[in-house]
Amino acid sequence: MFSSLFSTRGGSYSFVIFFLTTLGLLISALPVIVVTLMSFSAAETAAFPPAEYSFRWYEALWAQLSSDESSSAHSLGDAMFTSVLVAALVMLIATFVCVPLAYALVRGGGRVRAGMELLFTLPLVFPLVILGIAFLLIAESLALDLGIWRLVIPHVALVLPFVLRNCMSAMNGIDIEIEEAAISLGASWPRAFLDVVVPLMKPGILAGLIFALIISFNEFTITFFMYTIDVSTLPIWMYSRTVSSLDPAVLSLSVGIILVDVVMILIIDKIIAGRASLF
Amino acid sequence: MSTDLKIEGVSKNFGSVSALRDIDMNVEKGSFVCLLGPSGCGKTTLLRIIAGFEHATSGRLLLDGVDVSNVPPHKRGFGMVFQSLALFPHMSVAQNIAYGLKLRGIDKASQRDRVEELLNVIELPTIADRPVAALSGGQRQRVAIARALAVQPKLFLLDEPLSALDAKLRENMQIELRQLQRKFGVTTVLVTHDQTEAMMLADQLVIMDHGVVRQSGMPSQVYREPADAFVADFLGTANVVKGEVSESGAVTFLGILAQDKALPVGGAGIEVAIRAENIAVVECENPERSILGTVEFVRDLGPNVESIIAVGEEKLRVRSRAREVVSLSAGQQVGLKIDPDLCSFFSR
Repeated sequence: MFSSLFSTRGGSYSFVIFFLTTLGLLISALPVIVVTLMSFSAAETAAFPPAEYSFRWYEALWAQLSSDESSSAHSLGDAMFTSVLVAALVMLIATFVCVPLAYALVRGGGRVRAGMELLFTLPLVFPLVILGIAFLLIAESLALDLGIWRLVIPHVALVLPFVLRNCMSAMNGIDIEIEEAAISLGASWPRAFLDVVVPLMKPGILAGLIFALIISFNEFTITFFMYTIDVSTLPIWMYSRTVSSLDPAVLSLSVGIILVDVVMILIIDKIIAGRASLF
Repeated sequence: MSTDLKIEGVSKNFGSVSALRDIDMNVEKGSFVCLLGPSGCGKTTLLRIIAGFEHATSGRLLLDGVDVSNVPPHKRGFGMVFQSLALFPHMSVAQNIAYGLKLRGIDKASQRDRVEELLNVIELPTIADRPVAALSGGQRQRVAIARALAVQPKLFLLDEPLSALDAKLRENMQIELRQLQRKFGVTTVLVTHDQTEAMMLADQLVIMDHGVVRQSGMPSQVYREPADAFVADFLGTANVVKGEVSESGAVTFLGILAQDKALPVGGAGIEVAIRAENIAVVECENPERSILGTVEFVRDLGPNVESIIAVGEEKLRVRSRAREVVSLSAGQQVGLKIDPDLCSFFSR
């Protein structure tokens, strides 16, 4: 497949293209391959490459999940539940903020838009450690029991630029005349927004959703500052299991997470492609 | 279903910029009005004010005598075709056409009947379930028109709807559009910068420039009796040259003497508009009532030959029928005959 692809394109540079593509694939796939192989190790400790293969670490992970006492401080089940809940909340809040915001910024235009875009992009360029400290200081100064929101709020700030950017690029492609056409046919503005703008923004919204979900689910740096004994996420749990000695069950867990991520991306991609095929 | 529209003293300012100044206009029931003008003349702004997407700074819109200036656009019950056509890309052709009906709470069966009826009218009965993206330019055009007409609009508004089509298709669509409008008897306002399109479609032509109406009337009348030099120049190809009025009232331009022109006397300078097709090119030996010129540029367009001929300081654009003209070439000396009765005279 590759040879036919590269023999027809790029001419005499096809070798360079082939080399760079292979390198890129290798770099991005290598960690996944290593982790997956090691998770099937039969050895007592994690080493690469494993001498023998088995499912023992998957069994260990399952045992940990099913026999988990909810009273234990660093419960895997609790961490998983918190992670999913935080990610879902972050995803919903970010979307509900970003869809109207993207509309307002694109339709508003001009100087306001440039300024606001910059403002919402700030968390991207801010060093995450400092961002974590900043949120921690804010949370402490509030002296409130924020519960799960002490993670949700910083996560929303972190994913906002990604969701906003996706929504805005989708919004950019929607001609104002389409909206006006709906209005001229008798739709009130909210109706036109729901009937025409939101469906046309759908690919951008879905892409934003998946970004929010994955970024929040995998977030470590800020969460490391913000987590408490009651509110902790999966990455924190995994870190606690690897910081002194590497528990191979963590590798099995991450293989599971990768699988879920891939399935999710495939589903979203299918939805977006199904939508795009209309054009 | 049809209504008449009256525009009274409508002005529009964008900040300190005045886009429309004191527009008065009457659109008769069932008539086809074209707003024509160069880009930036305010014609689209006026259409958007009629549609309700812009709010006039002052003035009123009367629909059958009822002031609708403050009615929001979605409650005006007008049908509009946009420059980009603005079909909903996520809906099928039938869904596009039925959208306005759906909003009016019309039941599904009646919606389907109406969609079918309109698809027959636009002679595309088989495309109902197709996605909009699968349509050709001309088909999209027709669907956009059908969508706007489906709601039986009180007023049919079109914003340069044919500008994206190629010349041949555009001409066909103009004919179709005119036939559809007659068939539905709907009062129509169309914005265009294409004078041929306006001439061919309009019952009433409204020439706009810099936010004011320069002239309004039947196309042929506006063409033959332009109100000022701008209209003469904008509609068709006209040469606007300077002329003089003597104390006795005699007019001279390009060395031609014209008597008995009802003009403001007083020795003031005037402007004379001569249509390109009203200049006859003759052999230069014929001195009677002809003036001498030098051919600068010739192009043969098939049925017509267009040329630029220098007469003194002035460069005249001349359009002659190919069969009737002597063969022209650049640098050649020719005689020109201009009938003052076919010229328009304006005080400067």
